Amino acid sequence: MHVGKKVRAVVHVTQSDGEITTGKSTDEHQLIVKGLPHVSLMSYVEVIGIAESDQSIRAETWTNFGNTFDAQSYNQVCQLANGEFKGLFL
Amino acid sequence: MFSSSQLDATSAFAGGGFSFTQQTQPTDSTPSPAKSRETQGLVPVTVKQISEASQSGDEKSNFVINGVDVTNVTVVGMVFEKVGRNTDVAFILDDGTGRMKCRRWMNENFDTIEMEEILEGMYVRVNGHLKSFQGAKQLVAFSVRPVTNFDEVTFHFIDCIHNHLQTKSQGEGLTPTQPQLVDTSLSTPMRNGLNGSQTAPSSQLSGQFSIDGLKSCDQLVLDYLQQPSSIGQEKGIHRDELSRQLKFPVEKIMESIRSLEEEGLIYSTIDEFHYKSTASG
Repeated sequence: MHVGKKVRAVVHVTQSDGEITTGKSTDEHQLIVKGLPHVSLMSYVEVIGIAESDQSIRAETWTNFGNTFDAQSYNQVCQLANGEFKGLFL
Repeated sequence: MFSSSQLDATSAFAGGGFSFTQQTQPTDSTPSPAKSRETQGLVPVTVKQISEASQSGDEKSNFVINGVDVTNVTVVGMVFEKVGRNTDVAFILDDGTGRMKCRRWMNENFDTIEMEEILEGMYVRVNGHLKSFQGAKQLVAFSVRPVTNFDEVTFHFIDCIHNHLQTKSQGEGLTPTQPQLVDTSLSTPMRNGLNGSQTAPSSQLSGQFSIDGLKSCDQLVLDYLQQPSSIGQEKGIHRDELSRQLKFPVEKIMESIRSLEEEGLIYSTIDEFHYKSTASG
């Protein structure tokens, strides 16, 4: 949907080997992130980069959100920001 | 050249004559109804909201967001292009909705120490006042704090939405009651249903019917059935009427009816579509 555009997502890391990091997005989809250094499993990482496909992002900036991030609330904020309250965010 | 008071420093920057109150109180996100809209604390906003804000007069006047004068704001975003000088530190704040210039005047030791901690790419909370300088909007920061728990980012966006909804309902002249926790699953139908179009019934019910946009469907159905006009009707109110008047889908009305019935607050009359309140009003 946003292929080729700059996107931002928070990913719950499930696998991290070298160039490729695999994780679960806050809306339960599998995402592949390229270009991240090694990150500890089960941590949340916010990735900002270009969407190469529906399921992968090439990271440009990333921030470690730690282990105790509330993914559910964040997911709801994403839905509100893209839907009802789009005017405040996009 | 720069005195110790931040007020003087910023008026020097703006070319004199800029007067504003230095407010350092924390964000007050639950104002009591008696509080006037002018005496705000820090207003949580996104950079997009700031970029769309208009000014009420010339460059020296206040910014207007959602129809309300806004001076002091709080924003959460990432720091980029930090440039430190003797007199001030400038940086760009990117919160995902836009980028804006920020400036922090180095008046006291505290300012320098705080800004030294701020690194490129770091998430920070910036509190400051909005300024217009040569046509461009700027944020003059008096507090920049690194974010350590990233739920703060989520919280800030929710705070912006919450503040936006509150200001909107205040602007429409409806008295807000004390806001409760926002239940996002309910807020969508409620907001659409209650914005402005609800005529407040007679004064004896003004307490129950004051619209804050956050009441549950159950409470609204009960309120409606407890109106004298509803109680006066022997056969009760048809659920379609409830759906029409409260602007909820019929399924939602039926859910509320079921739970209210279980509580013993309402009962069905001539058939399973008509209901009355058990209170005699």
